[in-house]
Amino acid sequence: MSQRVTLRVNGETRDLEVEVHDTLLEVLRSEFKLTGPREGCGIGMCGACTVLVDEKPISSCLALAALAADKDILTVEGLADGDGLHPIQEAFVEQMGFQCSYCTPGFILATKALLAEQPSPTPDEVRDYLAGNLCRCGSYVKILDAVLDAAARLRGAAAVERPRP
Amino acid sequence: MVVVGQSVPVLDARERVTGQVRYVLDAERPGMLTGRILRSPHPHARIVRVDASRAAALPGVHAVLTRADLHDQAPYNARYGRVYRDQGIVAIDRVRFVGDPVAAVAAVDGRTAEEALDLIDVEYEPLDAVFDVEDALRPDAPLLYEPRLAPQPGFAALVGDLGGASNVCSHFKLRHGNVQQGFAQADFVFEDTFRSPAVQHVPLEPHVTVAEFENGQLTVWTSTQMPHAIRAQLAELFRLPLTRVRVIVPMLGGGFGAKGSLRLEPITSLLALKARRPVKIALRREEEFLTVTKHAATVRLRTGVLQDGTVVARQVTGWYNTGAYADVGPIVARNGGSAMGGPYRTPHVHVDSYAVWTNVVPAAAFRGFGVPQIAWAYESQMDMIAERLGLDPVALRRKNIVHDGDRYATGEELEDIHSDALLDRAQAAIQWRPEDARWLRGVPSGEQAPAASLQRGKGLAVVIKATITPSTSTAAVKLNEDGSLDVLTSSVEMGQGAKTVLAQLAADAADLPYERVLVSEPDTAITPYDQQTSSSRTTYSMGTAVVRAVQDARQQLLALAAELLEVAADDLVTADGRVAVRGAPDRSLTYSEIIRRGQQGNILGHGTFVTKGGLDPETGQGIGSVHWHQAAAACEVEVDTETGKVEVLTFHSTVYAGRMVNPRLCELQTEGSTFLGLGQALFEELVYDDGQLVTQNLADYMIPSFGDVPRRVESAILERDGAGEVHGIGETSLPPVAPAVANAVYNATGVRITDLPLTPEKVLRGLHALRAARSAGQ
Repeated sequence: MSQRVTLRVNGETRDLEVEVHDTLLEVLRSEFKLTGPREGCGIGMCGACTVLVDEKPISSCLALAALAADKDILTVEGLADGDGLHPIQEAFVEQMGFQCSYCTPGFILATKALLAEQPSPTPDEVRDYLAGNLCRCGSYVKILDAVLDAAARLRGAAAVERPRP
Repeated sequence: MVVVGQSVPVLDARERVTGQVRYVLDAERPGMLTGRILRSPHPHARIVRVDASRAAALPGVHAVLTRADLHDQAPYNARYGRVYRDQGIVAIDRVRFVGDPVAAVAAVDGRTAEEALDLIDVEYEPLDAVFDVEDALRPDAPLLYEPRLAPQPGFAALVGDLGGASNVCSHFKLRHGNVQQGFAQADFVFEDTFRSPAVQHVPLEPHVTVAEFENGQLTVWTSTQMPHAIRAQLAELFRLPLTRVRVIVPMLGGGFGAKGSLRLEPITSLLALKARRPVKIALRREEEFLTVTKHAATVRLRTGVLQDGTVVARQVTGWYNTGAYADVGPIVARNGGSAMGGPYRTPHVHVDSYAVWTNVVPAAAFRGFGVPQIAWAYESQMDMIAERLGLDPVALRRKNIVHDGDRYATGEELEDIHSDALLDRAQAAIQWRPEDARWLRGVPSGEQAPAASLQRGKGLAVVIKATITPSTSTAAVKLNEDGSLDVLTSSVEMGQGAKTVLAQLAADAADLPYERVLVSEPDTAITPYDQQTSSSRTTYSMGTAVVRAVQDARQQLLALAAELLEVAADDLVTADGRVAVRGAPDRSLTYSEIIRRGQQGNILGHGTFVTKGGLDPETGQGIGSVHWHQAAAACEVEVDTETGKVEVLTFHSTVYAGRMVNPRLCELQTEGSTFLGLGQALFEELVYDDGQLVTQNLADYMIPSFGDVPRRVESAILERDGAGEVHGIGETSLPPVAPAVANAVYNATGVRITDLPLTPEKVLRGLHALRAARSAGQ
């Protein structure tokens, strides 16, 4: 059974016809042709399908596309500004916070959500927040470096943006 | 600027962080259909009848594949397999494990394909099944293959002389010295048995294949670590010349050995042939667990020692449970077998290493390739021997460990060995003192300090491992007319940084900036032969081939420049993309100018690197490895004696790399091995119930997360002063992880666990047993 839905992904709004059982992950990949969100487990355990919906990280493999109308959906493709990279992306590059990078988009988006909530996380806070994102290659040490680096970059950028009295 | 030795950013870093890496999962071809596989619900059964007529009639279904397609008149083979041709494209006479492919469908989308699977009727006649090696070797055990299969040509020696039909798939023998004589000399002989279960690689990207088969040309995009081997095996299967089979491999989302043989390619290719459309099969996670695993193994270790701790003799019997199909099981059993003595100088070593067929998911290559199972045995036993002799386990290792000039159990003379440095680092990392061994602490055996429920302990382990020998890598380079360099290589990028490292080596050899080098993805139509991306061989083997290719191109460049500059080629030097006359830097040309003025179009260079060796099939003597990979692990754990939970506080890996090309990538690989090892040490285990896998998703089978990362994780990667020879490090740090943790758990609690994983239940059972023994003794 199909249904019309309006989805807003990375700032782009589109009217679509989806099956009621289509997951958000399936629709992002097949309709929006996005390759950042990926299936790793199909049951919301690995975080490879993480996207931000109204700034909150969710497992898109467990979300129904038909129920995602009128929300701001952000995938990793929506982070970079033109040719530049978002500070979180730059931090992951600088720190080499990946190996095969299949999990990397999920980690980057989860990091964005974490740093919005807590701009100066301790290593333990990072570990707790990101415990739902799995990396089989085992890049955790460098991912932690990247997240802390990203936090510093964002704090630095915020300091620059703060209006001077 | 020289880039070898620098942690330069990875070549495709931008794509990695913007989600733009293309995996096979992302491959699309015009008119592509979706394939799905119907799998056996029985661990062992005769297939009585398969009727797929209702599935074929379903609208949207373009092809159905059953054993009916594998008849004698078909223009392709029915079966494949490296060592034995035991695997049907789909099951033919029998199914041999729960999950064994019985049929497949290609349809317009996944849902239609699933519906079609439900319409395929299969009638089975269940047979008795065996799931572990003990049962499979009983005289009255049901046999998976009857009569005995003959191995493929060239593999008879590997498989050995196996006699009449049984479930033994291969037998590796190693005979070094005279083990009976050795035991006669020994003051003590200790026999212990160690077990490790099957585990799954869990690459986050599952196996995926897209196949296109038209006009006698087969093209596959597939998640594999061995493009040329896959090409050759598909060519044989479909009776095509190599030129008519093309294998393309973009980036893999993890491999770890899972993607090392034919997997989905045969089914997908045959569906594509039948449907006359491209077909894609991407496994769901549950299916991934039913496709390939690591070998479960039982290792019985008999070690003879003198009173002072000198190891004089070792007799080892190892059984690797290779599951329903042999795959590379016999090669795994040989690789593990040749290293069963451990990194210890032992004059008498006798090894029998068997691969055995059983009715579980086929086991094949897994990071470490047979060595983790035996390192688990010999490094656990070293500590047990140390206790029995009242010795410091580190001192016991130092006493016996191999050095340059020692003869290994394979009879070869060892060189470039750094055991003392590895042990020094491991010992220092956890500040090991003799009293850290609980039997040297003045604590009676089995006793533990009564009050505190949290007990700490330290442990370490050291391992030596071969890299596949003999082996061959070839590479080509194209120096383009703008002075940029294309490196054509079939080495597969799967996160280890192969492309980056090869670009660094090529850049320095070509005297070009790193940014001017591009590395291809493997495409067997274009990129030349490489044996495989595994066995930690790429930086060493392909790296050497690439450097030789660049040197070949450079020679041609200098010859052209010599003509243009009117000097002898010997008087020329290269730097920064320019060729100049030595001592007269203003007399120079850019690479681009030389190529254009010489009307070359481009300069092609090629390089080949072949290593020689191999082991005698009767004695296991010969050259086991072109050079040996060496690592040590040291850790401190804290055990909660009320729950049995083991927390790893500190983990330190030391590995000998010879020369690092990209240090940060080396750290990533070493840390990656640590976490893979910790998962297996503490909780990873495939659990079967009467042949049915009950751990088939990432909720029931958990892999390490951030929550499992120890407080302190460190790696020390040792290089040799001067130009050390590159030693691969992709696997080396993995085998010592589990025994280091088990030794630490023992020193913390007095509980010795000899079968992985070290679960809380096992720790608690051990503690209860100790308490009961104490009470009984009082």
